[in-house]
Amino acid sequence: MNMHKYEKIWLLFGTATLLVFLTVVGISAFYMGNQPPSCAVTLNPEKVHETAPFDEPGLKQLGDNEYQLTIVASAFNFDVGNNEKLIQIPKGATVHFNVTTTDVVHGFELAGTNVNMMLEPGYISTYTNTFKNTGKFTLVCNEYCGAGHHLMAATIEVIE
Amino acid sequence: MPKSQLKKQAVESPEVEEKDSLKGTFISVMLIGGFIIITWIGVWALYLYR
Repeated sequence: MNMHKYEKIWLLFGTATLLVFLTVVGISAFYMGNQPPSCAVTLNPEKVHETAPFDEPGLKQLGDNEYQLTIVASAFNFDVGNNEKLIQIPKGATVHFNVTTTDVVHGFELAGTNVNMMLEPGYISTYTNTFKNTGKFTLVCNEYCGAGHHLMAATIEVIE
Repeated sequence: MPKSQLKKQAVESPEVEEKDSLKGTFISVMLIGGFIIITWIGVWALYLYR
């Protein structure tokens, strides 16, 4: 086959780039442990408030600088365990997010962080994040869920 | 005769292709490649920093 010299260079460049990208993603996933949000566990969406740990939403300390944050989303509220809708987390803490919805599909985005997942009724969405930077982060719903969609918010503050 | 005509065409065509300059195509395709790499690294860095 007669192939132009430039075409050969370009094909080689494209293949090499693809291999580099795949290697980086592979190292990130299997060596550094970066995983996408999971929703492998199911529950009865009509009995969310009676099912542990969703009967007691809020922040729970699991170990040294390790927490579990349980949140119940519903139209149009994030139940984080208090009326101020504020959660304070020390800097450098590893937080396991455990979230579900009682009614429709909601979004779960902690703006400015990598925490971003979809909540589906009947499924428990989980994600583990380590908070490296301090600041006030707003938790928003990013899936249109109804007339009060824009009112769904809570605050997570990472303190020193 | 149709046979000889075919033979003549096959010899001529690769010569014409070789004369075309692909320098501009190569540069523009490399620029797109560079743009893809820069945006990919940008998103990746943002993910790691957060």
